[in-house]
Amino acid sequence: MKNRIEELRGKRGIRQEEFAKRMGVSRQTISSLENGKYNPSITLAHNISSFFGLKIEEVFIFEEE
Amino acid sequence: MYYNNKRLALSIFWIILGAVLIWLGIAGEIDGTYFSGMGGAFTAVGVLQTIRILKYRNDEGYKERIDTELNDERNNFLAMKSWSYTGKIVVLIEGVGMLTAYLLRQETVVQVLSYSVCLLALVYWISYMILSKKY
Repeated sequence: MKNRIEELRGKRGIRQEEFAKRMGVSRQTISSLENGKYNPSITLAHNISSFFGLKIEEVFIFEEE
Repeated sequence: MYYNNKRLALSIFWIILGAVLIWLGIAGEIDGTYFSGMGGAFTAVGVLQTIRILKYRNDEGYKERIDTELNDERNNFLAMKSWSYTGKIVVLIEGVGMLTAYLLRQETVVQVLSYSVCLLALVYWISYMILSKKY
């Protein structure tokens, strides 16, 4: 699943560490999410989308495998 | 709070148990080398855990780092995945060991490994049944 976390975080000028702290996860989790190596739980996806003021589907792009 | 009083009590228990085993080993009441070594390990684990607990309680940065690590969903996911791989690899190793022991005509080893695989399969099945009722 692709996502726009890196792009949205970059626009707001927030570093991975700070973003991770706000989301209550580790920096490695944010890094893995941005690289598309890890898919978040629905709770984390919701928290991330809410942080950017967007809908989940606007941040996370679901692709059928 | 992860490092609560229960964990502190458990750490102190390990220290006491370790000290008792060392003392019994030195006094010659039990097999000195084996149990003293075990006692040393228990004491070391207890002391290290106690140090971590005290640091957790006094160092706000450390507390935050530990809490984040423990609540981090990717960490939990990795831990679950690792346990899953561990189980599969153990069964595989036991299967290969069983075949090797059979070819070497080591009947006792074959029996022990077979029981072990059966036990693992049983534990897996019970866990699956319990979890399927829960979720």
